[in-house]
Amino acid sequence: MNKRREFLGHGIGMLGLLAGASGPARANLQSAEIVVIGGGYGGATAAKYLRLFSNNTARVTLIEPNASFISCPLSNLVVGGSKNLTELTISYANLSKRHGIKMMQDSALQIDPETKRIKLISGQIVPYDKLVISPGVSLLMDSIEGLSNANRAGVTLQAWKAGPETIALHKQLSAMRDGGVFAISVPEAPYRCPPAPYERACQVASYLKQHKPKSKVLILDANQDITSKGALFRKVWAQNYPGLIEYRPNQNVIAVDAKTKTIKLEIDEDVKADVLNLLPAMSAGDIAVKTGLANSNGRWVNVNFLNFESTAQKDIHVLGDAIQVAYAMPKSGHMANQHAKVAAAAIVAELNNWEVNPAPVLTNACYSFVSPTQAVHVASVHQYNTTEQTFKPVPGAGGLSSEPSLLEGEYGWGWAHNIWADTLA
Amino acid sequence: MNSLKMGILRYSRVMRTHQPHKQIKPVALILWIFGTLSTCAYGQSNTPTALYQRSLAATCANCHGTDGKGAPNGGMPLINHLSKKQMLEQLLAYKAGAKAGTIMPQLCKGYTDEQLAAIAQELGSHE
Repeated sequence: MNKRREFLGHGIGMLGLLAGASGPARANLQSAEIVVIGGGYGGATAAKYLRLFSNNTARVTLIEPNASFISCPLSNLVVGGSKNLTELTISYANLSKRHGIKMMQDSALQIDPETKRIKLISGQIVPYDKLVISPGVSLLMDSIEGLSNANRAGVTLQAWKAGPETIALHKQLSAMRDGGVFAISVPEAPYRCPPAPYERACQVASYLKQHKPKSKVLILDANQDITSKGALFRKVWAQNYPGLIEYRPNQNVIAVDAKTKTIKLEIDEDVKADVLNLLPAMSAGDIAVKTGLANSNGRWVNVNFLNFESTAQKDIHVLGDAIQVAYAMPKSGHMANQHAKVAAAAIVAELNNWEVNPAPVLTNACYSFVSPTQAVHVASVHQYNTTEQTFKPVPGAGGLSSEPSLLEGEYGWGWAHNIWADTLA
Repeated sequence: MNSLKMGILRYSRVMRTHQPHKQIKPVALILWIFGTLSTCAYGQSNTPTALYQRSLAATCANCHGTDGKGAPNGGMPLINHLSKKQMLEQLLAYKAGAKAGTIMPQLCKGYTDEQLAAIAQELGSHE
């Protein structure tokens, strides 16, 4: 009996060797189970484009806990009160109805890259051949002492993922006394959406100008200077919001006292504020870190930029804010959507046994609203550099708006409506 | 299979030799490249070249819609009424600084002429 089992074992091993001279037989495009974790700008786009690029033949599952997509871009307009969150909320229905993607409203608890199985919070086990993770960022609450407690006490909140916190922050702003201080702290880069803290300052200042003109926004920036669109923001602050926005660079927030609403800074004296919108340092989303993918400083995921496969695990592709970015590549929703298309095309090529596109291209376009209706943009184009095996911004391309305008505000909404459709419709 | 390999080689050659700062080439050459581009069934990716070309054009979709079908009244100028030739002319004019705009001149400068031709081939109107 024992001998027979041993023999069988050997036999299976031999079969395995025969099946594929260089490892186990690979799944093909039609048979592969492709699973996407995370239905944000990166994940939802990846799911849709895996279907499009495979001529609707790939089997794609999207795991996302939220019932609807809520856009982080433009959510600062909700903080300032000129828009409602419902205007930024879109159904996931078309991904299944029009594109044949299997939707699972669930969260990934654990990934086993060896057996290629995902354990969901519901207890279900989902096997995969190819896995795409677009987990967004995790906020490192412990990087500011007392922040977790202050959050639990309802004193501080971040609103750095659009949703209930976005509305809650607007409520704190509306409840603030005239003459109050709305503090926004900016962590050291890289963090999700570089210009967003400064855009938020504009939206809050716009509200204050109208409703509470004796108040001010205080920006405590851990960086040496404004990290994006600096000259444009400075000009807008001086012209549109004089006395309403105070900007302090090199201000690293190290602690917060929820009882006294006091912010402790690394170097300068303590600051008191009425609304404390403290943004801690960030890392790749939990599931990426837990799976051992965050091999850049323990915070971000190194990827092969030709297919966005993690350098830590084969057949796991990581997109969006979670990756260790290339030089001058921002962590933005637009960029996540672009990562997704390169990854989707590469996965389709690999499963077809085709060479992966040797020269992918990425763009970034980011509109920031400096008032409820006027916007400025920053843009860049990133070409893959074969020698350096990374994306590099094309010198002389890209750039900034010359000044804020209503036209760019319209384009900002045009960008939103189109990227939402490109991602979800 | 041979034509498939040729497709990859041709594409690789074109893409690997890109030099974003090269001066605008004579229009004839660009139109020649335009003519050599994949003209496979619209919205299909049956060959590597077709897939690469489609994914290149997808870099435009964030603002101009999937396959260039922009959101009607979405606030962004629509492009899908343009013929392939008109689209290429406009993209090259943006790149050369001959056509004014907000973001398009900046973005077009980031693509090679060959890439702009591939984009126009993919997103220009299919009658």
